[in-house]
Amino acid sequence: MKRSFLFAFLLVFAAIFPAQYLDAQSDSQQSDSQWIFDQGTLSYHMSHPMHEVDATSHAARGKGVCHAGWCDFLIAVPVKTFDSGDTNRDLHMIEATKGAQFPLILVRAHFPQAETSQQWIHADLEVQFAGQTAHYAKIAFERTQQGSEVRITGTIPLTCSDFNIDRPSFLTVPIKNEIPVRVDMNWHTM
Amino acid sequence: MYLQPEKFVLRAAIFLFLCLMPNRMHAQSAATPAERQTAAQQPTSAQPQSDSQPAPSSQQAPSPESPLPNAPSPAQAPASASQAPSLSDLGFTPQQTQGDPKLQAELNKRTEMLKIHQRLGLITLAPMAATLITGPMAKAKGKNGEPITEPSNANLDFHAALGGTTAALYFSTASFAIFAPKLPNTPKHGAIRFHEALAFVHGPGMILTPILGAMAYSQEQNGQKVHGAASLHGPVAVATVCAYGASIVAVSWPIHLKFWEKK
Repeated sequence: MKRSFLFAFLLVFAAIFPAQYLDAQSDSQQSDSQWIFDQGTLSYHMSHPMHEVDATSHAARGKGVCHAGWCDFLIAVPVKTFDSGDTNRDLHMIEATKGAQFPLILVRAHFPQAETSQQWIHADLEVQFAGQTAHYAKIAFERTQQGSEVRITGTIPLTCSDFNIDRPSFLTVPIKNEIPVRVDMNWHTM
Repeated sequence: MYLQPEKFVLRAAIFLFLCLMPNRMHAQSAATPAERQTAAQQPTSAQPQSDSQPAPSSQQAPSPESPLPNAPSPAQAPASASQAPSLSDLGFTPQQTQGDPKLQAELNKRTEMLKIHQRLGLITLAPMAATLITGPMAKAKGKNGEPITEPSNANLDFHAALGGTTAALYFSTASFAIFAPKLPNTPKHGAIRFHEALAFVHGPGMILTPILGAMAYSQEQNGQKVHGAASLHGPVAVATVCAYGASIVAVSWPIHLKFWEKK
């Protein structure tokens, strides 16, 4: 009888210990954390048969919160801060994207916390732009550790049609529908 | 009432197993690192889904409950949604987040006027070039083939009509740029500066050219050889057209002609 009790005890211990161990390890790896945006750039690329234009903004702000195994990041950038090197073009962009009425581009990213320690992050994105909201699933961002900072780079495949933007034209030829946005941001955790 | 030890052990084992099941599932919910790495190497399949929003007067922080197509269900991350950062966390001033419908209306009007400016400007190029070409032809030949200094009425009328059309279109084009709404606190840089600077060349040129043309015509009608400032009618016209063409190229610069490039 005692032997069967001892066997049962060992069986129960063997069942509990790995589970508790895994839970403790999981909790330590995925503890709550806040991500603070240090600096970075967002650039969009515009193509026209006669022009290839890149416009960059250095005015993005962001914050990230990781909790219960998931991370939520919010990045915002004023539309009017994109500089293509030509004032006229930038004002036309603000007009075409309703940038005065909707002055911010908001990007919300949602991804598993476990990916914050890996080379690639696959985030579900919700982008609010020009009064419209578009969703992009599993967009890949590369994560590079640089000392205490983490550099996140990637491209969001925005298109004009996703946001009901009437494509600006030059010499009656409209720009390409694709306006990919290149993200290059440095973050640190708290 | 006491259970037999074997049954007690069996029930305890089942109870513990059931209790531990969710923990194990939670611990195994994330893919293994190897699986995730494999997924990372694969190309991204972005499938945007656009939602139309009513146009608010100001841009609000999006609802944390906004559904994402491939996002986990709220049951998977209930606390995460409640702690998601909001726009107020980013430190923007109200001026930066508030929409300005009045400014948007100004921008819309500005763009409309500049579109017309662009179209009319291109249309103007045609009679301008024709006027330049017909200028030297205004000097006709006489019946015996000898050149005559005074232009024939037919050629001169055609040249003058083209010049008048050019001037009318030119000043219409200019008015759409001059009267387009100006936006405060927008220092100009880039190609638009050259475009505007060249207007100080072709603008006076477009005023001077017809005046000098009229002077030249008057001198010829009086049997005089064209002289003085009137003799500059041709050179001024050429300089005006060159500046006008350069202005079009400047606003289009840098031109990237890709049609002969292989992708």
